[in-house]
Amino acid sequence: MSDSMQINRRDTLALVLSGFVAAALGGKVLAQDAKALSFWAVHTGTPELQAAMQTIINQFIKEKDGASVKFEAVNGALVYPKFLTAVQGQSMPDVADGYSYHPLQFAALDQMLPLDDIIAAWKSNGLLAQVVNEYAYKKFLWKDHYWAVPWNLDIRAIYYRKDLLEKAGVKPPTNWDEFQAAAIKLNDPANGTFGFVFPAGNFHIAQHYYMMFMLQAGGSILDKDGNLVFGTTSKDANVQALTYLTDFALKHKVTPEGIASYNTDEPHTLFIQGRAAFVTGTGGLISRLLKEAPDMVPNVGVLEVLQGPKAKLAAGFYNPLFVWKYSPNVELAKEFVTWLVQPGRLQPLYTAYPGNCWPILKSEFDSEVFKKTPLLAEVIQKVIPFTTDFAYPGTGIPQMGAIDGEKMFAAPVNEVIAGTKTPEQAVLDAHAKMAKLFT
Amino acid sequence: MALTRRARFAYMLVLPSLLLLTMLNLFPLAQGTIASLQRQNMTRPNPYEFVGLAHYAEALFSEGSFWSSLLKTCIWTIGSVSGAYVLGLALALLLNLDIRGRNLFRALFLVPWVIPDVVTALVWKWLYNDEYGVINFLLRQLHVINSPVHWLSDLNLAMPSVILAQIWKLYPLMTVVLLAALQNVPKELHEAASLDGARPWQRFFYVTLPLIRTTSVSITLLTGIWTFQSFDLVYLLTGGGPADATQILPTFIYQKAFFTLDLGYASALGLLMLLIILAISSLYLFVSRPSRVQA
Repeated sequence: MSDSMQINRRDTLALVLSGFVAAALGGKVLAQDAKALSFWAVHTGTPELQAAMQTIINQFIKEKDGASVKFEAVNGALVYPKFLTAVQGQSMPDVADGYSYHPLQFAALDQMLPLDDIIAAWKSNGLLAQVVNEYAYKKFLWKDHYWAVPWNLDIRAIYYRKDLLEKAGVKPPTNWDEFQAAAIKLNDPANGTFGFVFPAGNFHIAQHYYMMFMLQAGGSILDKDGNLVFGTTSKDANVQALTYLTDFALKHKVTPEGIASYNTDEPHTLFIQGRAAFVTGTGGLISRLLKEAPDMVPNVGVLEVLQGPKAKLAAGFYNPLFVWKYSPNVELAKEFVTWLVQPGRLQPLYTAYPGNCWPILKSEFDSEVFKKTPLLAEVIQKVIPFTTDFAYPGTGIPQMGAIDGEKMFAAPVNEVIAGTKTPEQAVLDAHAKMAKLFT
Repeated sequence: MALTRRARFAYMLVLPSLLLLTMLNLFPLAQGTIASLQRQNMTRPNPYEFVGLAHYAEALFSEGSFWSSLLKTCIWTIGSVSGAYVLGLALALLLNLDIRGRNLFRALFLVPWVIPDVVTALVWKWLYNDEYGVINFLLRQLHVINSPVHWLSDLNLAMPSVILAQIWKLYPLMTVVLLAALQNVPKELHEAASLDGARPWQRFFYVTLPLIRTTSVSITLLTGIWTFQSFDLVYLLTGGGPADATQILPTFIYQKAFFTLDLGYASALGLLMLLIILAISSLYLFVSRPSRVQA
């Protein structure tokens, strides 16, 4: 009895210890695999897009004999903690798609590999000229290096109900005054239809639409040299934009009264329910319309970017692909990035779930999906040519990641709508918060 | 006092778990403490520069958001736990009666507890929506309201609304634990009190409550700590808004750590939060300790 117990104890201990050793060695072996890449993607958030991306990756694996790519779709809500944990734990993926200013933030921490050679190659082979906007790649230029390359475009637009406008005899507005007049005229509370619905909750999306009006008013966060001017030289324009936007709720009362809690989905849902004449929306609204309300699609239009007091611009989000500096496979990682952003390569993404992913290369717009799918062609014609980065007219700096991430200019929208601050005070307070990042 | 072979073997078996717990608790705590004394701002150069107690000083003396977030965290915690306790106790008292379908009700009341927090948040966000939410729809149908109530966008209603959602999440645990405690209260005591002429409310306050006091302290302390540091429900329902009306410490720290990437400052805030929880727990345990007479 005693002998058998001793054997069992040894066995148990040996099992525990060998488990630890195997786990440790296993991790080491994986990390040293010279042809294995890990790839995290943030902008493939639906099963359709994930399957399409996997198909594209399988093609790469087939072409690069012996290579393997472990693809992981990262949940949008977990992007920041996941990347931060990976940086701290030195377990970053070899290649990643993240939010706008992630690569610069990580570059500031000496974690990113410069991708100057890819940009140089794009310049010589003409691909750079195909990129939708020069700020799409210039935003990644910091300290004389490109820390990422753009691969996907995330749009913000204003959609409208063609039938309601026609019925009221209103033409699609082209400037601020016309837009305001149209939203007021189409507001029909008796029939449950709002003139204009936009999100004003304390969420990132609220600042994306404020950016649009801010740029149109001639405002900005940075000047062309990268100095913070949100509450200084750009203050008047930024206050003007904030006043214009929030007046729809506070003065003209053409929005739902509860927009101070709205995130992305609420305006989309109200529009699909037929309860909004104009609505701010991402490309995801097109996806939802095609899937949930296809009968409504012929009655929906995409508004051409408005001519503001100073400019005709909208915020576009040029999503980055970046390579971890300490990847054991930097050459293969760069090869993967170069391979991925090629004409025609990402078409499966655009057809899998139309509206969610948008090309960064203009030549992609000639494909069937963009010509034949309703609303997509309108976005290409009326929105994308006017997009720019939200650091405009400056180029990228790591602080923009924190400004965007901490919703520093969503707060002004939320605070003014909630009635706790005037537009001027909200802009000045937001500036003071941002200024802390620059001192 | 040498350990027996059996005891040594037992310790050997416990060792891996102990190491794991040390790694998962003490190591992060030590790391967090070190980070709180360093700059550790990922948007600035020299992230490991030693800054001493500067982050603590900033939080306590110059960053007003810390104190306002702390106040809101206290309101959120006290409101949620006390609401869940009252509701849980009421349901436990009902389920302790010999009513038909008691076991079915017991199972049904547990449903909120088993639903993941993220799903809970999404469900309540839909319920609370001013234009197409179920609550406003029902209130309109019943002619209680004429215009929508702005549950999550009104400065005065946002906090009570998120508290109500948290109460819904917490009350099943309260009910189950308090029901178990109630079932241990000897029926003879109630019978004796009745014979002495005690009314139902007197039996409740002078017999039942004292006998479930230890359980009540434990469960309110436990849920209080959970709620004090809970993050997902508020973050998903309001994002801390409107105008910071629901900006509790966990969402504030999350914002500083993961969006601003100011890990040093966020670590200092996290440690301050830990100290506050420890202080409250100690005070609570001290105040609610069994009296000498009872002992």
